Amino acid sequence: MSQYACEWRNVTVRFGKRTVLHTVTLGVRCGELVGLFGHNGAGKSTLLRTLLGLIPVQNGQVLVEGTPVGARQMSQIRRRIGYVPQVLNTDPRVPLTALDVVMTGLYAGIGIGRFPSRQNRESAQDALRKMQVLHLARQPFGVLSGGEQQRVLLARAIASAPRLLLMDEPTSSVDWQFVHELIWLIRQVHESGSLSTIVVSHDAPFLARLCDRVVLMESGRVLGEVSAEGLLDYLGRGWV
Amino acid sequence: MTWLSLWSEPFMARALLATALSAVACACVGVLVVTMRLSFIGVCISHAAFAGALIGLHFGVSPLGSSMVASLLAAGVLGPLADRGNLSPDTAIGVVFSASIALAFLLLALLPGPKAEALSWLWGNVLTVSRENLWALAGVATAVVVLMAVFFKEIQAVIFDRELAAASGIPATAVFYAVLAFSGVTIAASLSAIGGLLVFSMVVNPAATAYQLTYSLRQLFLLSALLAVLAGWIGLALSALFNLPAGAMIVLVSTAMLLVAIVFSPKRRWSTATDGGKDV
Repeated sequence: MSQYACEWRNVTVRFGKRTVLHTVTLGVRCGELVGLFGHNGAGKSTLLRTLLGLIPVQNGQVLVEGTPVGARQMSQIRRRIGYVPQVLNTDPRVPLTALDVVMTGLYAGIGIGRFPSRQNRESAQDALRKMQVLHLARQPFGVLSGGEQQRVLLARAIASAPRLLLMDEPTSSVDWQFVHELIWLIRQVHESGSLSTIVVSHDAPFLARLCDRVVLMESGRVLGEVSAEGLLDYLGRGWV
Repeated sequence: MTWLSLWSEPFMARALLATALSAVACACVGVLVVTMRLSFIGVCISHAAFAGALIGLHFGVSPLGSSMVASLLAAGVLGPLADRGNLSPDTAIGVVFSASIALAFLLLALLPGPKAEALSWLWGNVLTVSRENLWALAGVATAVVVLMAVFFKEIQAVIFDRELAAASGIPATAVFYAVLAFSGVTIAASLSAIGGLLVFSMVVNPAATAYQLTYSLRQLFLLSALLAVLAGWIGLALSALFNLPAGAMIVLVSTAMLLVAIVFSPKRRWSTATDGGKDV
């Protein structure tokens, strides 16, 4: 088995004529909690989405636990990954409760034409409990606050016991008070679930407090990596 | 013939059955169309189905079959256009919509002889539904209900967020195209009863009404089907009572139901009450 939870080998991604990732090579070892830091348009979210096969790669190779990301293996690969997106394309009046939302994270594993079991329901409730929002299980998702929705989405991501957790700008729609709780929650999830975790953010203090190491990106290129403490020093030298 | 004696006539029993079958199929598809915000795609498909029926009449083939082919073709064209973003979805829908209407009017003008049959596909007439149409409606309604039950969880995931569903391993694109295809088939099957101009109201109105009243997807399907059948039968009764077009009355009743639901929607009160807490 690969020592890497995921790898990008000379990956290039183009949107039309614009190159958004330039021959990126990067690896995240099993059990690591890694931050991807950069300005808007640095290519952080694109890099994350190539792991899920949501964005096609023009050159190079993307691997999850040694398996190349490609059409044949995609369904299996995606089931190993828990994903919390930056933006939801969801109607605020969507007819789903918080528990329904968490259950949707389990459906691919249950299989087409099969109905969720009591065990599936208990897994979803357990994930909500870990995120301390079990009391919101029957509440409509759309009426929850930004912080509550973020917890529910995190519960959705971990309900299927993934091996790799991806979070895209988790602090973008929450206030500073919740950021402290979020750091604690992500650390709890990461350590208790034997996960490898990648967090994309342009919030340097958040990543510095959360991650083992931080990868710096700019204009679709990996500039290098720094330790959590090193990130703030680096920024202090005028990168921002 | 009195209003009450009408109900014992065989054509009225067929009309009630056709209305109920069409209402259930349209309402189930409507839940998907409303929750996935595909309403304008559906309008476009319904007009393509009408153009398809006219093509059938023009070339002497089954209008039901040709309307199904046309609606599936429209779904097949609109899906990728809306999906891949070569054009904005609004522009793509506008182009296909106006092309369908233009084709329909052209075929209407080219049809030799009286236009009554062609116009009946535009306005619909639930009182003269043929046996062939009734069987088609029964088949489509059964297929829609069975598929909604079997693929309920996949549908639920796609309604929540299509990309997130795909990212978790659900065949979200297949579900999306299946929804478009079923919208096409359902609309085509309902065309002769409700008419090309009005059928889409039967798809959207009951689902939009139920959407005002519940946060549960299961209840949304059930309530939507129930309201659609109710609107259909009340509309039919009013049309028989006042000697008015059935399709128009059915749509007006379902529109009135929607307006009442919007006014008394618990969701409206809930979202107003919780707006203050959305920033956390």
